[in-house]
Amino acid sequence: MFSVHVRLCCILVVVVCVTRSVGVQLPEQFQKSNHTNNWAVLVDTSRFWFNYRHVANVLSIYRSVKRLGIPDSQIILMISDDMACNPRNPRPATIFNNAHEQINVYGDDVEVDYRGYEVSVENFIRLLTGRVPPETPRSKQLLTDEGSNILIYLTGHGGDGFLKFQDSEEVTSQELADALEQMWQKRRYNEIFFIIDTCQASSMYEKFYSPNILATASSLVGEDSLSHHVDAAIGVYIIDRYTYYVLEFLEKVYPDSQKTMSEFLAVCPKSACLSTVGVRRDLFKRDPSNVPITDFFGSVRPVVITTEPIDILDIPKRKKTEHQNKTKVLEKRVYLPQFPMHLVKSST
Amino acid sequence: MALIIKYIIAGLVRYWLIHIDYWQTIANRVEIATPLNSWKRLVEGVFLYDHNINPYEGDAFHESPIMLIFFHYLMKNVPYLLPLLFTTLDLLTAYLLFKTSKSFIKIFMESQAKNKCEVAEESYKLLLIESELEESAEYVLSTYLFNPYSILNCAGMTTTVIQNVLVAASLWGASTGHAILACAFVALATHQALYPILLIVPIAILLADVNKGCNKCSYIKTLLAFVLCWGFFIYISAYIMDGSYNYVYNTYGFILTVPDLKPNIGLFWYFFTEMFEHFRLLFVCAFQINALALYIVPLTLRFRKEPVLLATVLIALSTIFRSYPCIGDVGFYLALLPMWKHLFKFMQQKFIVGCAFIITSALGPTVWHLWIYSGSANANFFFGVTLSFATAQIFLITDLLFAYIKREFTLKHGSSRRIDDKPAILLLR
Amino acid sequence: MALRFISVLSIVFIGVFCDEFIEELFIKPLPPTHLYSYFQFITTSTADELFLHSHLSPRSIGEVISRFQVEELHLTLTEGQWRHDQWGYPVFDAAPGAELYAWFNPRVKNIDKEWRRLSATLSGLFCASLNFIDNFNTITPQMALWPSGSMHSNVNATTFLRYASLPREIVCTENLTPWKKLLPCESVKGFSALLNSRMIHNTNYHSIGIHVRKVCTKDNCTDTYVEIKQTVALVYDYKIINTNNWSFRYLFGQGLPGACPLASSSKIYVDVSSNDTYPFHLSPTPDTIVTSYRGGSDIKLAIYNISMSTEMINIGAKYNSKYQIQLNMPPPLHFSRHILGYGKEFGGIVTEVVNNYWTDIDVVVLENAPWWLPIQLSSLRVNGEAKSKLVIAQYYSPGRSRQKPYHLELLLKLPPRSTTTITIDFEFVFLKWQEYPPDANHGFYIGAAIINANLPTARNYTSQPISGVTYDSIINASQPWYPALFRTNGAMVSLPTPDFSMPYNVICLACTVVALAFGPLHNICTKELVLKPSGTSLSLIQKISKMFNK
Repeated sequence: MFSVHVRLCCILVVVVCVTRSVGVQLPEQFQKSNHTNNWAVLVDTSRFWFNYRHVANVLSIYRSVKRLGIPDSQIILMISDDMACNPRNPRPATIFNNAHEQINVYGDDVEVDYRGYEVSVENFIRLLTGRVPPETPRSKQLLTDEGSNILIYLTGHGGDGFLKFQDSEEVTSQELADALEQMWQKRRYNEIFFIIDTCQASSMYEKFYSPNILATASSLVGEDSLSHHVDAAIGVYIIDRYTYYVLEFLEKVYPDSQKTMSEFLAVCPKSACLSTVGVRRDLFKRDPSNVPITDFFGSVRPVVITTEPIDILDIPKRKKTEHQNKTKVLEKRVYLPQFPMHLVKSST
Repeated sequence: MALIIKYIIAGLVRYWLIHIDYWQTIANRVEIATPLNSWKRLVEGVFLYDHNINPYEGDAFHESPIMLIFFHYLMKNVPYLLPLLFTTLDLLTAYLLFKTSKSFIKIFMESQAKNKCEVAEESYKLLLIESELEESAEYVLSTYLFNPYSILNCAGMTTTVIQNVLVAASLWGASTGHAILACAFVALATHQALYPILLIVPIAILLADVNKGCNKCSYIKTLLAFVLCWGFFIYISAYIMDGSYNYVYNTYGFILTVPDLKPNIGLFWYFFTEMFEHFRLLFVCAFQINALALYIVPLTLRFRKEPVLLATVLIALSTIFRSYPCIGDVGFYLALLPMWKHLFKFMQQKFIVGCAFIITSALGPTVWHLWIYSGSANANFFFGVTLSFATAQIFLITDLLFAYIKREFTLKHGSSRRIDDKPAILLLR
Repeated sequence: MALRFISVLSIVFIGVFCDEFIEELFIKPLPPTHLYSYFQFITTSTADELFLHSHLSPRSIGEVISRFQVEELHLTLTEGQWRHDQWGYPVFDAAPGAELYAWFNPRVKNIDKEWRRLSATLSGLFCASLNFIDNFNTITPQMALWPSGSMHSNVNATTFLRYASLPREIVCTENLTPWKKLLPCESVKGFSALLNSRMIHNTNYHSIGIHVRKVCTKDNCTDTYVEIKQTVALVYDYKIINTNNWSFRYLFGQGLPGACPLASSSKIYVDVSSNDTYPFHLSPTPDTIVTSYRGGSDIKLAIYNISMSTEMINIGAKYNSKYQIQLNMPPPLHFSRHILGYGKEFGGIVTEVVNNYWTDIDVVVLENAPWWLPIQLSSLRVNGEAKSKLVIAQYYSPGRSRQKPYHLELLLKLPPRSTTTITIDFEFVFLKWQEYPPDANHGFYIGAAIINANLPTARNYTSQPISGVTYDSIINASQPWYPALFRTNGAMVSLPTPDFSMPYNVICLACTVVALAFGPLHNICTKELVLKPSGTSLSLIQKISKMFNK
């Protein structure tokens, strides 16, 4: 830690803003990320107890991104069903990543933004495109800008070209691609890292056509994504293979780690996953082997420290409340009886 | 004498059914009671009105305010007379239908006499004979009195009983040339259930035919009388509800927008249960146009000369395609059919339709029980049955119309189906 | 060290802003098998109306109150069912799931709009699906709910009240996390450190709540301050913690790490009245034991004053005898609710209210049926009678499909030692297929009925008088009446469902039937009958046979 005893001590965060130039090959040294903030959208689309593993999946990623520094206010967590406090869960308020109860991915400090019936295709697309109803609280909005790197993680049951939501509706790959394009046109992101862990997962990113998206999927079209193992205590599969190994990898990542995205993309070889991990790089301008993993999973930004005093001329002054408000009108108040006594008395 | 015995038996059966232990079951059957006409909702509406709660504020009551104060008065003062009232009204319907059919027969005979010159010689035996027609009036009476559909409808004490009286009265008024009476009753029926508005067309034609004279003046007069009556009833209703027209949303609005998807014998309930929300409005409009407006112009143009047939067909079609049909409506138009006894031999699907009616009537309650009570069937079963019931009714009506034009053709061209001694067939072109 | 510094600072600020924080824990054994522990964290604030400065009081709640001009707010998130007949009465009763009600300032123009915004904001704040609150599940109780804070004297408070409950709402760590963050010490120090998610969700009943009201500063009540009370109620089953010799370690998984340094008072109250019949030994020994005489019943409270000590405090009780069969005196009033009928066509809701006391008890019963469960007022029976003498007043607001729930309130005078049965019939509604939730066959929850009772006795009564802020206000607080607000158990029905895989089929089939009518009628109206020689056209069979002969 550092401390400077100057009267005006300022820490200025200078963000290197490189004007985005589409279609021009950038030289190596410019391949730095130009993002200013990190967001994560983590979605579990499955309801019902036997889909415990999908909740464990999404919470594994949640745990990791939170540990690596993305604050809860910038993580949109969508969980379709309550597994932690489900009456069938013999260990209330916990969700583990394996049967030996190694990591409680649920933790003691979790904020679920969309849960239960709120997890619907409509809400998901509205969240991405920012077209939410006017009363929506901030914690349920994706308030990203053109400097945001977004991690999108989806898990659930899918098929070739669609992902089921709660067993009652589905989002198609085309709809998802269009939503991302709308985000791009509205300048709602800088880069997106898209992870999906479902059966035939790669079909979901094949339709993407917006720039700056790196996508990976737990399985190719025609393959199933398999679960890791059963926990006899809860009677269902506890986590999916892909996410299990992802969590294992991410547990070794720290905010100052030098691990790169290419290492992440190779996290689950076919021998471990039993399905082929698909990657789509063509929309992404940088080379994943030069991209630090914290560009998406953490919230580490380039910081330039200056000790020079800086004059900030226009300090926005807080509006002074008018003094008229201070002269309160004295309102006579009373405690009311807690029971409709007037009705009782009039009857007797 | 025989007639009186019929009335007594039919009346006793109805009165007895209202007083048996299973009455509740009858009154609550989906086939008999719809959200629009059920006795339970009438009681609820009157109860709320009695407790100074506006019954149109909630979703329980969909009758017109006139019915509300009528039944409010009855339930407050003479509740014990209500079963008797329903029985009497149903018998009155039968009597009015009997009277109506007699006048219709007169109209048939007159028009036959007028057109006799056009009849082919070999078809003379097809001409109507007065005595046979007299019989058919009695068939009309018996059909209404002893049709299980009508009996159950009356036993369930649905407001369809009232509606049937009103429609029968307006038909009787039209057949005897009482223009004001016909218009007033059809307006009242329209005010109650909207769909009888279709009847104003055949009634206008009938009145013009019966009263003779300037046709166009008569049409205009009838229409004017109807609109005035209807407007008056709407105004009176608003007056009853302290000048508020909000009841319209709960009566006409409820009939037109179909918000209650409780199963009935019609086509609407499952269709709009399964409808995609985006297309709901489109299909509601399409279905209501189908029930209210689609057939009236072409059928009127085609059967201008046969207002009675037009009336029968329009009643039947609006019953099949209305949003909340019940078997009371079906029973009513079935009672009109014996008037067309002379067409029966030209009908081809009598057997199929008859079987379909019997089978669906038996299967309906069965699959309903399986779905709702024992949980071993699902909604598709009941939907299938209502679909076949509607199909059977449609076959019946289209068959009747085909029979009519075939008879018309045969009367004109004789019954031989030969051209130049070669076999030929009848085709629509 | 840092905390100490903050606390010194806070004391300075308290002098300026008069924010005050008090933490209290009330433990009551519910013999023979359960234990009730109730936390309350009270923050009082004299902040100005706009809540520009807040100090110990949570700013987010303050902003909600000032923004939406809320006079009083009650939000509870509950899992489990409080058993009034066995456990007596809780300090605050709560409906299963989420329950929210609020009084707005009379200046608010469009209350329904503000109500929706309030619930949406709170949904974001507490990670609960409160944004599902809309007009179709909101009621305005007329007799059952009364503000516990001070209200403007010249307006009708019920007009500005809105109430909604979401019985399906699940309650788990994600609700507790933001709730704990509102406390000045969060879960670092003080009583809130005991709120270990894994332990409190392993209970028979748990309920977290936040209650905001305005309390008079002086007797003439021209000025008020805001009281924000955060509560947690837990009922432990001795079977789950495996022993009836409870201690903080067993209940909360850890001892108490001292008081919150920002709290002006940290007290633990243990109800030791049951010690006489079911003796146990408290350790460490309480600071004082107070006997409170209230409304014909006396209770003994052992009080601990917790200081900012660094060592862990582990309060516990050891029972002297191993097992005893204990008969509980049932409370003066208890109730139950259930659903009548079979099949998915008609049913009824029965609410049974039992008065065990020897005098009349006046109660208000509020039945709140969702729009998809239309109740019929004409079928209302009290003890089987349509016109019962027990009903003093009645309010009914009929529901409307997709817009408004059914809402019935009855003011009843329950005769002494009697059971009163309130029955009302309902009809099942058939919803559109997209209105069914993803788990349509799970069943549909019906919210709890509210029972507001005017108890003549304080037997089993643990609530504070409305004039009191801290829990010690219950000591010797005898009043003529003890108002109590209860929730009955919720219920569940299964609505008839359509076949969710059928939309295309149904649309096709129904349209086909319409076309079956349209086709022939179109033919009849537009074509005429002609005779055609039958030799010219071939029938289908002839055509086919011709084809084969080629």
